[in-house]
Amino acid sequence: MLALQTILDGLVLGGLYALAAVGFSLIFGVLGVVNLSHGAIVLIGAYFTWFAWHVTGMDPLLCIPPVMLVLFGLGYIYQRGLIQLAVDRSSLLASMLVTFGVALMLRNALVLAFSPDFKSISPGWAFSFLRLGPLTIDLVRISALAASLALLGALAYVLNRTSIGRVIRATAQQELAARLCGVNARHVYAVTFGVSAAFAGASGAILGIVLPFSPPDEANWTLNAFVVVVLGGVGSPSGALLGGLLLGLISTATSQLIGPAFPNVMMFLILVLMLMVRPAGLLGNAFAGTR
Amino acid sequence: MLREAIARQRWWILAALLGLAVLACVPFVLMPFHVRVGQLILLSTALGLAWTLLGGFAGYWSFGHTAFIGLGAFAAGLFETQMLGTPFMRAQPLVGLGLGLVVGMGACAVVAGAVAWPILRLRGIYFAVAMLGVAQVLSELTNSIDAFKGSMGLVFPRIPAFGLRQEAVFYYLLLIATAVILAIAFAVKNARIGHGLAAMREDEDTARMLGVPTERYKITMFVLSATLTGALGVIYAHSLGYITTGSVYRTDFSLNMIVYNLLGGMGTLIGPMIGSVIMVVLTQVILGGFLNLHMFLTGAMLVALVLAAPRGIVGTWLAFRRRRRDAAA
Amino acid sequence: MKPAILELKSVTKRFRGLVATDDVSLRVEPGTITSLIGPNGAGKSTIFNLVTGYLPPSAGEILFHGEQIDGQSTVAIARRGIARAFQIAKPFPEITVHDNVRIGALFGRDGPRDVAAVTEAALETAGLDDFADRPAGDLTVGYLRRLELARAIAARPVLLLADEPCAGLNPAETDEICDILRRVRDRGTTVFLVEHDMEAVMRISDRIIVLDAGAKIAEGTPDEISADPKVIAAYLGTPEEP
Repeated sequence: MLALQTILDGLVLGGLYALAAVGFSLIFGVLGVVNLSHGAIVLIGAYFTWFAWHVTGMDPLLCIPPVMLVLFGLGYIYQRGLIQLAVDRSSLLASMLVTFGVALMLRNALVLAFSPDFKSISPGWAFSFLRLGPLTIDLVRISALAASLALLGALAYVLNRTSIGRVIRATAQQELAARLCGVNARHVYAVTFGVSAAFAGASGAILGIVLPFSPPDEANWTLNAFVVVVLGGVGSPSGALLGGLLLGLISTATSQLIGPAFPNVMMFLILVLMLMVRPAGLLGNAFAGTR
Repeated sequence: MLREAIARQRWWILAALLGLAVLACVPFVLMPFHVRVGQLILLSTALGLAWTLLGGFAGYWSFGHTAFIGLGAFAAGLFETQMLGTPFMRAQPLVGLGLGLVVGMGACAVVAGAVAWPILRLRGIYFAVAMLGVAQVLSELTNSIDAFKGSMGLVFPRIPAFGLRQEAVFYYLLLIATAVILAIAFAVKNARIGHGLAAMREDEDTARMLGVPTERYKITMFVLSATLTGALGVIYAHSLGYITTGSVYRTDFSLNMIVYNLLGGMGTLIGPMIGSVIMVVLTQVILGGFLNLHMFLTGAMLVALVLAAPRGIVGTWLAFRRRRRDAAA
Repeated sequence: MKPAILELKSVTKRFRGLVATDDVSLRVEPGTITSLIGPNGAGKSTIFNLVTGYLPPSAGEILFHGEQIDGQSTVAIARRGIARAFQIAKPFPEITVHDNVRIGALFGRDGPRDVAAVTEAALETAGLDDFADRPAGDLTVGYLRRLELARAIAARPVLLLADEPCAGLNPAETDEICDILRRVRDRGTTVFLVEHDMEAVMRISDRIIVLDAGAKIAEGTPDEISADPKVIAAYLGTPEEP
């Protein structure tokens, strides 16, 4: 039974990892930029939700839409104002440094605004749970998993079935060709970044009700996203879901079987192993052959 | 080949030796606060140079070099406090420090040697992020395994030497370390390996076709860079007197090593020296009052730098000079 | 039979389903300029990639001076004395022409050497003396090709693989490249050439090997090749086919 419970816990964590990573994966796939401030954006979502819940008592799940809206705007401006500039003026590696710098700034700003202590969000229903035979599932975890999956599904729908999704995918594959067809590539990149930031923010809101968080965690969330992308493949929600669930299961199993200090160590080993054995990820690059 | 380079650059070498002599007089002239700033400048310069052995010369940008500062510091600290013990350290502080240096550097060489082969098969961003991971993993292990004392912390005994004040002792230690690392970097840059690395940085596959043993070279530089960084970690830890995981495994160390080189000029020797002086003076002296904004300012500086002068001070200056010469011709 | 400097024995290279070279056997005799020609996609570049160790063959053997070299690393093969000049010039753009060539002299084939003298000689052979102090990134296409050759020459190869050195050059530039290759051969380096410019190939080659669709279809002197009906068919198509 313990095994089943571990798997269940792993899946919940995995859904969260997947949602937190999908935006990182999208930016990497479409823009080719490695956004090292992604983890900080996840935490901004978490703190935003914590603040709303703490001050007004608003339900954290209801905070998701406004968080996404705000972060979409911030992400759009961030990409157009800063990252695009760095790519134009030097290189993709330099743009990665810019995001590294921004990550430090955001971490510092979060410490100043909210103190370096751990915070957590516990809504009124936090302590209710379901019993499924011998398994106990608290409502928090099950709603976190449901919300993560729903949001991932929504993103997959947007990317695959809507016109903006088609434009994003076309631009990722052939920027020049897309531009010749009248696509404003810069706008598309900024929108992609905005979408990515919005989903990062949403994952932050969900993260807040499942786990405690503090500003220095941002590095871990960025690293998690990277591992998820390496495991699942670049650029697609399904790849992120596969990578996220795998990572969730691996880290839950590792802390159960080996010790609570080791999930990151295990994760890192898997990261390096995957990069060496199958650098395109289990599902391959959704925009294969582009770069 | 090295002899030619020494002859060709004899004025630079003379200037460096003169600078060293001037710097050696500093503790007798300046106030303790300024000596401490000098210490920080030397540490930063040395770190920048140690990083550039791999990042600047071979083009493998490590985003997690603080891994070796922390590893060196904790390996030496555990050895000195657990193996040698306080009585020995009190009686023979310099011998203790020397042995600690050997252990710290040895630990870095072993760990770097062990991860070098897999991790150096990754290129560009993948290598950068993998190093970020190495730093994260080492710091977490140090913090959560009790035997490593990362969360409790380690106390280093003071090092009284020749009647000098503590800050002067570390100033001189760091001055020696900087001089040694600079000499090593100069030798590497001007030797056969340096030219091979320059080729490899520009195009690794082509370099290999020309017979440059890229695999061996990059592993050598990785281990060398890690070992020297580890030595600096040991000295830094002693200068702090008390360390925890958070005080030696610091993301901003990793970042700063890149920033110094980026600001000064990637792949040059003078670059990290100029870069570290400017950054330390700027963050410690001019903005010294905003301690809680330190990380924010470092990040902002990095962003501004990449946007304003992506080729660094040396690169911008060389481009300017070349334009002027072309205009004259 | 005199030992060949390079010999491929039944070499096959498959990429998943695609057969890039199919059971190819060929010999390159020492002291010659031997050309490898064939339509696009015939497998010429694949053979170069196999010889330099950039790709491993799926089957067959590659012998250099009678010793097996397939399976060895690119670096090891370069150090035995095989150098390659790329079709798309890959100079190290941030460093000068002189230093680019010097890297070839510093590395390349094992054995003692006078780096400065080798560098000067290679620059002179390729006619680059006047450009030695320019950054390689400033050169035009024609001169980049020469730099590519100079760097390979400086590696003091026993066998020089030249990958379409004349592609995209005008007739005068092509003549100069041909002169350089002849000079290289006359100093004792064997040249193995892939080239599309038929006129240049016919002019400078001692032997020609023709590939089509991954297989060897003909081999001989330039005169024999230009009269071979199979070769004409491969290039122009047979009259029966629509």
